[in-house]
Amino acid sequence: MSLSGIAARAVVAAGIALTVVGAVRANEIKGKVSVQGIKSAANIAVYVDAIPDKKFEAPKEHIVVDQRKMSFIPHVVAVQQGTTVDFLNSDSVGHNVYWPSISGNKSLKHNLGTWPQGDKKPFQFNDLGVASLLCNVHPEMSGYVVIVPTPYFTVTDKDGNFEIKNVPAGKYTLKTWSEDGKPTTQGVDVSAASTTVELTVKK
Amino acid sequence: MKDRVLNTSIMTGLTAVVVVVIGMLASVPKSSAIPAFSRKYQTSCTTCHSNYPELNDFGEAFKKNGFKFPKDDESFVKEPPVMLGAKAQKEAFPTAVYPGEIPGTVPIAFRYEGNFNVNRRQPAGFIQQNGFAPRTDLFAPNTLTIIAAGSFGQNLSFWIDDDISVGGANADGGLGDGYLKYNDLGHAIGLPKNALNVRFGQFELDLPFTQARSIYLSPFDIYEQASAAGSLGTTKNPTIFGEPQRGVEFGGTPNNGNFAWSVAVVNGSNADAALRSSKDVYVRVSQKFNLERDSESRNAIQAAGPTGPRDHTSLRAGFFYYYGKNQQNQDGALFPGLATIQEPFYRVGGDLRFKYRKLELYGLGMYGHDDNHVVTEGDPPTIAGAPAVTFSGGFAGANYWFYPWLIGTFHYDAVNSHADFINGNPLSQYQTRNRFSPGFQVLVRANIKVVGEYQYTFGQPYVDPITGNALFFRPNAFQAGIDYVF
Repeated sequence: MSLSGIAARAVVAAGIALTVVGAVRANEIKGKVSVQGIKSAANIAVYVDAIPDKKFEAPKEHIVVDQRKMSFIPHVVAVQQGTTVDFLNSDSVGHNVYWPSISGNKSLKHNLGTWPQGDKKPFQFNDLGVASLLCNVHPEMSGYVVIVPTPYFTVTDKDGNFEIKNVPAGKYTLKTWSEDGKPTTQGVDVSAASTTVELTVKK
Repeated sequence: MKDRVLNTSIMTGLTAVVVVVIGMLASVPKSSAIPAFSRKYQTSCTTCHSNYPELNDFGEAFKKNGFKFPKDDESFVKEPPVMLGAKAQKEAFPTAVYPGEIPGTVPIAFRYEGNFNVNRRQPAGFIQQNGFAPRTDLFAPNTLTIIAAGSFGQNLSFWIDDDISVGGANADGGLGDGYLKYNDLGHAIGLPKNALNVRFGQFELDLPFTQARSIYLSPFDIYEQASAAGSLGTTKNPTIFGEPQRGVEFGGTPNNGNFAWSVAVVNGSNADAALRSSKDVYVRVSQKFNLERDSESRNAIQAAGPTGPRDHTSLRAGFFYYYGKNQQNQDGALFPGLATIQEPFYRVGGDLRFKYRKLELYGLGMYGHDDNHVVTEGDPPTIAGAPAVTFSGGFAGANYWFYPWLIGTFHYDAVNSHADFINGNPLSQYQTRNRFSPGFQVLVRANIKVVGEYQYTFGQPYVDPITGNALFFRPNAFQAGIDYVF
């Protein structure tokens, strides 16, 4: 094989390799959520909406929502559809966990009952939407499970910052859910290793 | 015709209440604003109350534990107390003041109650003999109560409530309870937790069913009964069983609160200054039978229901006894020439309370007995024993929670008093004065209530001014009230 032939093959191989790597490269979406008319930018779920023709397996790992000092911890948790959430009671007082609907669909309401300190009660969330966690004896207790269709999601920190890792390159729809604000939707092109997005959530 | 007029009035009142309730419900609930403990623990009234001021099982445990969470109290406190000395100062005692604490913020709360009254139309003859009562009366009584309560560290707790506007504009009210309590006095000698407590001050006796913190608009009549012989003799006892007393009370709630006992030594003159040197004694014991099948639920503070914690299915049975020795004529002014008249008296009774899910049934029976005398005028006058002044009666009732915010209530009261009947005070058709009081209570918010109660009461005699016939009239009434705390 001539030298030029070897060079040509090397170029083709490199091109193929780059293409393959580009297709599976783990990029990230990061940014900041600003709020208007809302007290805080914390605890806002940011997630990639459903991707056409793409299905994701339900994760096997369980997520824990704790009841501690008469609060749901964390206050907002985002989970992929099909995730099992373990509801833990760390308090010495009796608690109850129920949600009256999932995103307004009352047929999806559920009451997990009561269980002693230190015990957990699992529930698999198979329906998309938001479950408002309540306790029927401590009505001040409030928490949310945001069930999203993809594994690409996060919840903002106290300053509204967020970071979604391991997102394949592509064009997606980014959505938010917050306790007090309206949902926002924004297109995002994840082609670079890190894509920065600025989002605004309004009351 | 009279009934029709009455029904129309009641329907008008009910309609007004329904409109108010709907209006209040229509606005979006945001938060439950509540008194001192809510602020301290940042929790709703419903943590302790099933229908305030009635306590649920958790609230009972909280109260018995000296206004502290039954377990891990410190971890739930959101407003840290102010330390009056480091904990290590205990080691320095008695060379230093024993360390204590006070609540981080002033533990004061307020309660307002005002009632809308609709009275049955009175016949002309009844008005002539008993005085006129208007058909309606807006917001009477109109009561603002200040409540301060909390703990001073591990074992000390306090409670003060004072009605500051009960008698009209700018009128003085009165102190309800004002006491200091030391919990778990028996810990040092190895007694079970809270088996021996003591409280000092002015307090409602350890009554089977509280009058001071009742959910009803009308009182438990038997608690209010006073023994007065009138024309039958000398008995004139100032003690009212249901009113607060000044004294000292020892008590305890061992066995996880299932057994309760108390012994109080009190003045016997309620909130007034002592009228005699001897003191009265009140004893109460009760046993709660926990009927939960699941042992874990049975031993927990509240049972684990399929839709959340709830009160235990239980039956509490109790017994109470009050003994005193009333005195009259200590200074000889009432009956000149006679010595002090001693008239021992007692009140005795039993009670039951049954709870099952959303239903609560209860009842109390009580008997009162006062020694009595007759004085024969002469020189010198003479005194001799006379038939005792007695009364009996009680109450029974039921509450049902249709929803956590909508409660149906009912209680029946009866007082059988021969002396009252003979003396016409209060006027009654029979020796037994009775009253049926069905009602409803709506928790518009956890701290705001709309309450309604219809009182179907005993017949009172009057003479028809035209025919001269002896007739009877039931002065029934409907009351609707607003009640809020903050």
